[in-house]
Amino acid sequence: MCLLLACVAPLGVNGYVLYLLTLTEIFTLVALGLNFLTGFAGQISLCHAAFFGVGAYATAILTHKAGVPYLVSLFAGALLTTAIGAVVAIPALRLKNIYLAIATLGFGVVLQKIIFEWRGLTGGGGGLALTAPRIAGYELGAAGLYYLALALMTLGLFGAWNVTRGRTGRALLAIKDSELAAGSLGIHAPRYKVIAFAISAFYAAIAGGLFAYLVRYINPESFSVGLSISFLSMVVIGGLGTIGGSIVGAAFYVIVPELLRGIKDAPGLVFGLLLVLVMVFMPQGLWGIARRLLGRG
Amino acid sequence: MPGPVSNLAIENISVDFGGIRALTDVSFALESGSIVGLIGPNGAGKSTLLNCVSGITRPTRGRVRLDDTTLSALSASSIAHHGVGRVFQHPELVAELSVHDNLLVACHCALDYGLFGELLRLPNVRQQERDAADKVADVLTRLGIADSADKRVGSLPYGHRKLIDLGRALLMDIRFLLLDEPIAGLNDVEVVRLGEMLLSLRREFGLGILIVEHNMPFVSRLCDRLVVLDLGQLIANVPPADVLADAKVMASYLGEAADA
Repeated sequence: MCLLLACVAPLGVNGYVLYLLTLTEIFTLVALGLNFLTGFAGQISLCHAAFFGVGAYATAILTHKAGVPYLVSLFAGALLTTAIGAVVAIPALRLKNIYLAIATLGFGVVLQKIIFEWRGLTGGGGGLALTAPRIAGYELGAAGLYYLALALMTLGLFGAWNVTRGRTGRALLAIKDSELAAGSLGIHAPRYKVIAFAISAFYAAIAGGLFAYLVRYINPESFSVGLSISFLSMVVIGGLGTIGGSIVGAAFYVIVPELLRGIKDAPGLVFGLLLVLVMVFMPQGLWGIARRLLGRG
Repeated sequence: MPGPVSNLAIENISVDFGGIRALTDVSFALESGSIVGLIGPNGAGKSTLLNCVSGITRPTRGRVRLDDTTLSALSASSIAHHGVGRVFQHPELVAELSVHDNLLVACHCALDYGLFGELLRLPNVRQQERDAADKVADVLTRLGIADSADKRVGSLPYGHRKLIDLGRALLMDIRFLLLDEPIAGLNDVEVVRLGEMLLSLRREFGLGILIVEHNMPFVSRLCDRLVVLDLGQLIANVPPADVLADAKVMASYLGEAADA
């Protein structure tokens, strides 16, 4: 039903709402990926904006400068980012909690700096302006990108749902609870942490490649630590370790500031307060509350 | 069906923690189909020894060998893959999962599919997951907790959680089982049931079982042999009846067992 609604949505809305809906799909992808890492494996990451950025830049550079077809560069960029995610995971294996947060924060800053300094490739601080991508000769307009993001988000949801009820999802949850106990069940914690980082980076990068062509202009500033914190907030607000929570968290993050737009000068303040209230009264996130209200929690 | 006979050998194990020696040159062996109790006062090194066998602690000297494989060179998870299962003193279950799913976690080694297949949930993944779920259902029935399958483990009494933890070991296709104080916190009925279950595991699967336990009546009833540790040294490796007769063991241990 939801999917049907999502399919016809572009018909009845204006360009700006379509932009917001596409953005929600994109952020849902990021949140799904981050949920593997934070919600399931219990690892904090503050470098997801950088994964998102690497995905965006790799897709943009391959498509725009090298003339590679958009979909191919989208996946090539995601695979590159997946490799970076796996590499980031290796030192992260030795760290926990706040130390991991700080280390990933460092990685995020380094990746962002590399994008900034590698001017020949990325355009540096001037950023990259992009034109609408083409798929099989057809120009992908706003509605086209919406549907592409919808298709990829649906695939992403399908993959996430499968992994979380499979061997990997259970292994990640076991690691979060106790690495010692997981080990005694034959679960090699380092391997699964690397997998979690890698999948998570893949999702973020696909989202980044879509984002670049949604906004049609990227610069390194867009992929700062602030965005990483936003991603983390989405996952926590929506509900850690739940797939539905990823959608709800992303939607909350995109839509609530829009709803608050009418309040003069205060959207930031109200939004911040709202975050605090959600966390204090709904520690299991909006999705957890929804489930409880529906009597399924 | 008991498989071929295996031998789990602890060979000249010493463990130093900083300047403190927790175990000194301990050697004994455990064959499949035998139940050995590991007893001794607090601080004797029983848990350290269990940690060495399950790969959590690396011995400073000596090695643990399973037939021709040196286990002490492997990680805890590879040791589990080799068929040595460990049940901790306090049940280490995943609180947010149901009883059924907690048991499924233990099927990790038995499931053999790649991440790509898992993402798409290909037919072979579905088949393997179904087989694992069937095995879980069997174990739930064996443990007598089939009606709790869908409950969250957090809501269950302690005794049930310990049973589930044991159930996880059963799902791992193990040849040797290490139990750390399995009856601590259980009531009398549960203790009897656990004892019967361990005996039937030995009978049906030829499992070798190593039990760390303070309760002398329980271990002497169940075990073929008792290994007694005191201050990190092995002071006896004899049938239970001999332990009760041994003055040295009585002195180091039984005084304490009386309060346990």
